[in-house]
Amino acid sequence: MTLSRRGFLAAAAGGTLLRAQEPQGPVFRVKVDMVVHSFQVTDSKNHYINGLKPADFRIFEDGIAQKISTFAEGANTPVAINADGTTTPLLNAKGAVPGMDRPDAFVGTNVFVLFDTSNFMYRGFVYAEDAIADFVRGLDHADSVAVYTFSRNLSRAASLTREHGDAIEGLRNAVAGDDTALYNALLLTLRDAAKVPGRKVVIVFSNGPDNASMIAPDDVRAVAEDEGIPIYVISTSEVNKDPISSGVFRRIAQRTGGKAYWARTWQRQVEAFDDIREDMSNSYTIAYYPAANPNEGFRKITVEIVSDVGKKYRIHSRPGYRPSRSF
Amino acid sequence: MKLWSIVVTAGCLFPISVLPAWQNPAQMRQPESAGDANEARGMLASAVQKNPGSAAALRSYAEFLEQYGQPEARAVYAQLLAQLRRAGGAAEAAEIAHRLVILDLLAGDGEALTRDRESYRAITGKALPFSSSEPREAWPTVPIPGPMRSFARMAAIAPEAAPEDVLPALARNVVTNGYQASRSNETLEQTEYLKLLHRYLAQAHELEKLAGAQYAIQVPNCDSPNAGDLLRILGFRMRGGCGSEVVLETVNAGRAFLTADSGFPVNRLEEALRTNRPFSYDFHPTLVPVMFGPAYWTAGSKEPDFIEALISDPSLCRLYLGLSNLEPATAAAMHDAGTLTHLRVYAHVLDFFGGQFELRDGKAVVPGGARSAAAWGELVGVSPDRGVEFFGKLLAKDDGWLASLFDSLARINTPVRDYLTDPVRMKRFYAAVRGKVTSPGPARPVFRSNSDMLLLTTRLELDASGKPHVPGNLEVWKGLFTNNPQARYDGKLTRLAATWKEPDDLLEALFALCRKTVENQPLKIFMALTDIDRGRATPLGAATVERLARSWHTYGSQFAVFSEAPQLSDKSINQFLDTAEALTRLHEPALRADAGGTFQALVSLWQILVRQQTIADRNADEAFAGVAAGFADVHSARELFDAGHRGFQSLLNAAAKPADSTAGPQERMAGLLTGAAESDDVETRQEMEEEMLRILDAQHLVSLDTLFQLSDLLESGQRPDKAASAQMAKLAGRIAAAPLARAPLTVVERNAMGFGFWSGKHLDAERKLNLRLAIEKAAGDPARLANLPEVLAPLLRDSLLGLSYAYYAPPGAQVLFTNPVFVRSHDFIGGEGQTNLWKATEPYGSGWPSNGGGRLVGSLSSLPYALAEAEENFLVPAQTQALIWGDLVPQMMLSAKIPRWWNVTPVQMHWVGLNLRYGRELLAEAALDESAREAAMVELGRLAAPARTAQLRALIERGQVKEAVDQVTPAELFWLSRALEPARAGDRSSVRAQIERLSREASSQVSLAAISRAFGAPKPTLATSYRPELLNVRTFPTLMGYSSRILAESWESNNLYWVALADELSLRPAQLNVRIPQWTRELVEHIFASHLEDWPALLRSLRAVGDDVREHARAASADQKAALQDMPTGRPQ
Repeated sequence: MTLSRRGFLAAAAGGTLLRAQEPQGPVFRVKVDMVVHSFQVTDSKNHYINGLKPADFRIFEDGIAQKISTFAEGANTPVAINADGTTTPLLNAKGAVPGMDRPDAFVGTNVFVLFDTSNFMYRGFVYAEDAIADFVRGLDHADSVAVYTFSRNLSRAASLTREHGDAIEGLRNAVAGDDTALYNALLLTLRDAAKVPGRKVVIVFSNGPDNASMIAPDDVRAVAEDEGIPIYVISTSEVNKDPISSGVFRRIAQRTGGKAYWARTWQRQVEAFDDIREDMSNSYTIAYYPAANPNEGFRKITVEIVSDVGKKYRIHSRPGYRPSRSF
Repeated sequence: MKLWSIVVTAGCLFPISVLPAWQNPAQMRQPESAGDANEARGMLASAVQKNPGSAAALRSYAEFLEQYGQPEARAVYAQLLAQLRRAGGAAEAAEIAHRLVILDLLAGDGEALTRDRESYRAITGKALPFSSSEPREAWPTVPIPGPMRSFARMAAIAPEAAPEDVLPALARNVVTNGYQASRSNETLEQTEYLKLLHRYLAQAHELEKLAGAQYAIQVPNCDSPNAGDLLRILGFRMRGGCGSEVVLETVNAGRAFLTADSGFPVNRLEEALRTNRPFSYDFHPTLVPVMFGPAYWTAGSKEPDFIEALISDPSLCRLYLGLSNLEPATAAAMHDAGTLTHLRVYAHVLDFFGGQFELRDGKAVVPGGARSAAAWGELVGVSPDRGVEFFGKLLAKDDGWLASLFDSLARINTPVRDYLTDPVRMKRFYAAVRGKVTSPGPARPVFRSNSDMLLLTTRLELDASGKPHVPGNLEVWKGLFTNNPQARYDGKLTRLAATWKEPDDLLEALFALCRKTVENQPLKIFMALTDIDRGRATPLGAATVERLARSWHTYGSQFAVFSEAPQLSDKSINQFLDTAEALTRLHEPALRADAGGTFQALVSLWQILVRQQTIADRNADEAFAGVAAGFADVHSARELFDAGHRGFQSLLNAAAKPADSTAGPQERMAGLLTGAAESDDVETRQEMEEEMLRILDAQHLVSLDTLFQLSDLLESGQRPDKAASAQMAKLAGRIAAAPLARAPLTVVERNAMGFGFWSGKHLDAERKLNLRLAIEKAAGDPARLANLPEVLAPLLRDSLLGLSYAYYAPPGAQVLFTNPVFVRSHDFIGGEGQTNLWKATEPYGSGWPSNGGGRLVGSLSSLPYALAEAEENFLVPAQTQALIWGDLVPQMMLSAKIPRWWNVTPVQMHWVGLNLRYGRELLAEAALDESAREAAMVELGRLAAPARTAQLRALIERGQVKEAVDQVTPAELFWLSRALEPARAGDRSSVRAQIERLSREASSQVSLAAISRAFGAPKPTLATSYRPELLNVRTFPTLMGYSSRILAESWESNNLYWVALADELSLRPAQLNVRIPQWTRELVEHIFASHLEDWPALLRSLRAVGDDVREHARAASADQKAALQDMPTGRPQ
């Protein structure tokens, strides 16, 4: 049994290379991959606005206008934007978008569920499994899902798959116990997600406290921000019970374009998952190759809606990203 | 006889050059000598193809394959045998048939074994019988309800555990994790682990009942009554009616938790109900053998179920564990001689110290043999000749103190054992260990408490005179005991110390201190100083020893530097201490931290360069002394920057192979650290260097080039002209551009919720630094400008530190790649009132979200271990339930990271591979030849406990060689070969012939010292040094105060196994630098251990990773072949 492992371990614990041309050493260069940017549009009453077209949006990076390469709404088939502004379904346009080897990966969302199975979750473990299983069952067929669990270490219970039953099988195979290294596990999940092309989200299901991570939440958040992966957090704790964790969850969710929920009961957890699913199905995803930009630091992304009506709408997204560096 | 054979047997009757190429084995194997075994293999294979009728070509090819551990060897030998039999070469055919039998035994191929034994009999008229055909003695079994997989999950037992290992593992887990002190009284109460295990067994019994006589849980369809019953037991219910809407949800959380945690296939059940298909689940019980049968253990118990009875009684579990550790015949004799009740009283002693008990012809085997038997008899009160009675009394003696001495002495096989088991001496040391008050004994705690005695007996050194090596002289130690203001060790020992006349007096005191539960400081000092002396041509002088002994308390963690580098003179060591003391006296904490950090960073770089032999041995001492002296008079940040700059430059100058002089200092040092500038494996070297540079970049550290260029400009002593000003501004701009993350909490947040937040003054100061402004303000005053490098001192510390961090970065290095201020956050001082400057490095602050993540605190003395510790929680176990093994993993990681294999030759790799293969061969030979078996068992007995030696003997006697080899560690195979190979001159094994050839032709490369240095593991705890070496010691048990760390250091099998694997795959030595860390990471991720001493789990994982690597290599090779065949010309293009 796994809780014994706690005692067991407590006892034990105790791209391309550009060689340097200057005498100062290696030259670091900014390497810019395709930027995938997801966002939701809502009105003043927080209702989702659907049906907007590529031509309705303008996107800027540090104020520099960007050319949109692909566009998708919810789980609908994504389209490539042609030079004349017309669109072609992405799956029929292989080669239309340079560097996009796997256009099928842009269909649906890649959902990574990160389930806290540490000792802190012991009491609610089985209810949490039920709630996550319900969420997975309710995903669109086009969506892929991976289920990871964690306590002190991460476990890839079910790798990314469109076979949702396999994901539930992996979930049901989870084992409870041991310390909690939430931010370590979240970092590893983001690293896995970053390798997957297309749109992706990470959903963290945890009660909050972390007692074993070496990585700080803000460092993990920066990775999510740079990779364009929204993080949704469902905390099974109460918002006021652990202000540090609540603050961290809120900050991570906001900065990455996700949301944070405090759902102590099974019913609230189901509602939170419903809300996430709705968010996903009402999201717009734009991909572009950034125009030349000397800024090697944080680049601010701004999405604008062209029409006058659109000016009343609110756009929920990550604020920007830092381009990766190579040498 | 074929021409080639003539050449071989007659020792070149014809000049080799006149032979056709395919018949010239030396020529065909030339590429092998140059490190290209693949080319040699190709030539030999081609020779066979071109000359299908040539036995010589076949033999040559088969032997080559065998020498490289290739499974195809058997097929080629079989071909050769057929050919020889056709040709009528009986003597050679007999030899080959024998060889095939050996290889069949090793492959575990029963069918081929029968065939080849028959061939041998047909050729020679003699059989090759095994000495025993008796089936293994089977104990009665008991059923565990349900599948083993589920029980193993709930009981935290490795699913691969053999049935006979299940109950001992269960008993151990109950002993170590099943009970805890009650909060309300002095009794023990069950832990959550044990409560859940009981509940699981209850649920499993219910399910078993439901499964019926067929032991199959059947649910024909969704409407079946069985469905309801099953769901009730599982704690689930259906939501939605039968059909596509069915969802299973929790209704009884307690039951559902057991269902989920034990891995019941709920999802499959749900799917069956949803699709209205039958669900069937095999619920046969698992039968596990019970030593002596269940009745022996449950006599008088009211609990009818054996498993329940066992886990409900911790003392019964401990006895089961103790008896299962014994050599089977000894266990049986003890069982027969005593009652359960009697043995139970001493179960704790038996558990910890019974593992070395062994009866031979009814007599007890005692450490020291016949010479010491009488003394043992006197101490125990019964002669060892009365074997069982002797052990019975030994168990009962003084709560385990004598048994602990017996265990410590029985574990060693060196001259030290002969020394310590001298009858008079042994009695004297026993009296010291025992003391006057024997309770509590050393077996009372959960982990062995007398770890110091085990370390003392294992690591004691004897001088050429045969007496224990006493660092310095006896007077030093007398002084330490009698006049030590820092610690008083023991009143009586202090009084006696004044009368000491010989080393045994000191040794007696050290034994006496082994019984103390407090930290045994004198023993640690003694061992550390012994380790420093061990590799030195001239031992440390008495004055140096005295100074080191007295400063151990403060600087002890730094001694590993001195142990690793025997080139260091007494003067340099004293210089180090002078400097360390001077730095410790610096009043200003920030300056003290920066000065100590910079000094240690340079020492760390020196240590790496000396270890890699980039700084030649002859230059090591001078370079070290230069660095140390440079910091002795540092009193200000300005002086600190200069000392750092000079020290760095002196290391560059001391390097034997000057780095690219056109490169900047940073790149030059990175190149030196990467090592082997002359390596022809450019790709591997580049990969290693890039990894270091990526880490330095991720840490946003200021380049040393920038710092030194700027300081040179600032120090010019002249008012800067326009060009100089512009250059200074540019360099200052570069420094400012290094982004530093904001503090994780604002001041207000810190006060509100950052409980325990440390100020991070070093980082805060760097965040506030405005270098451009400072330069602008001082621009008119050359004197002020010249003083400005003082503000660069903290940055220099970080940049130097970063190099060591990057060098030792464990595979993956998630922390270093994610936390951009990890290096800068190194805390040399610690919190208010703390002084961590010279303490061992430790990760600190994990699981503290408000503090910006974890960081390392303390000195750099154990940086490699601490970095590995910081990384271990990022490893992803391959199996759902397995977790990363706390103390063991960092040591495994650093054993793969600290040694570098740039200077290793293909010959050395092949030597290790050959010896591991020959070790296997010897075990196979032991199945056929009694004298070979006895010799192998004696050698294995030096490393393996009697129980395992007996198990191996039984397997070998039955011809189950593959099973036996699977239980022998690679290190044991290596030492077995080295112990027996030299004496087996008549052995016609081609593997042995190669070993003999290499030892003759490349003696310096394959000397024990060279192999030890090349493929050993660092042992910072066991040998006070990070120098890789092979110590050839038994695998240690888990020890109090060290947990599994010493076990990991005594585990020398990984690198030996990896090197043999690389030899098998014909990898270049330089590739080891990349492959070994990767393979080790996989090894760690695949370990599924049942408990903290489950080293067989390490062995399973090691072999599993090796098999996986082989499979991938063969698949890649097959793909390559297929690709070549697909080419129109059939040739590579």
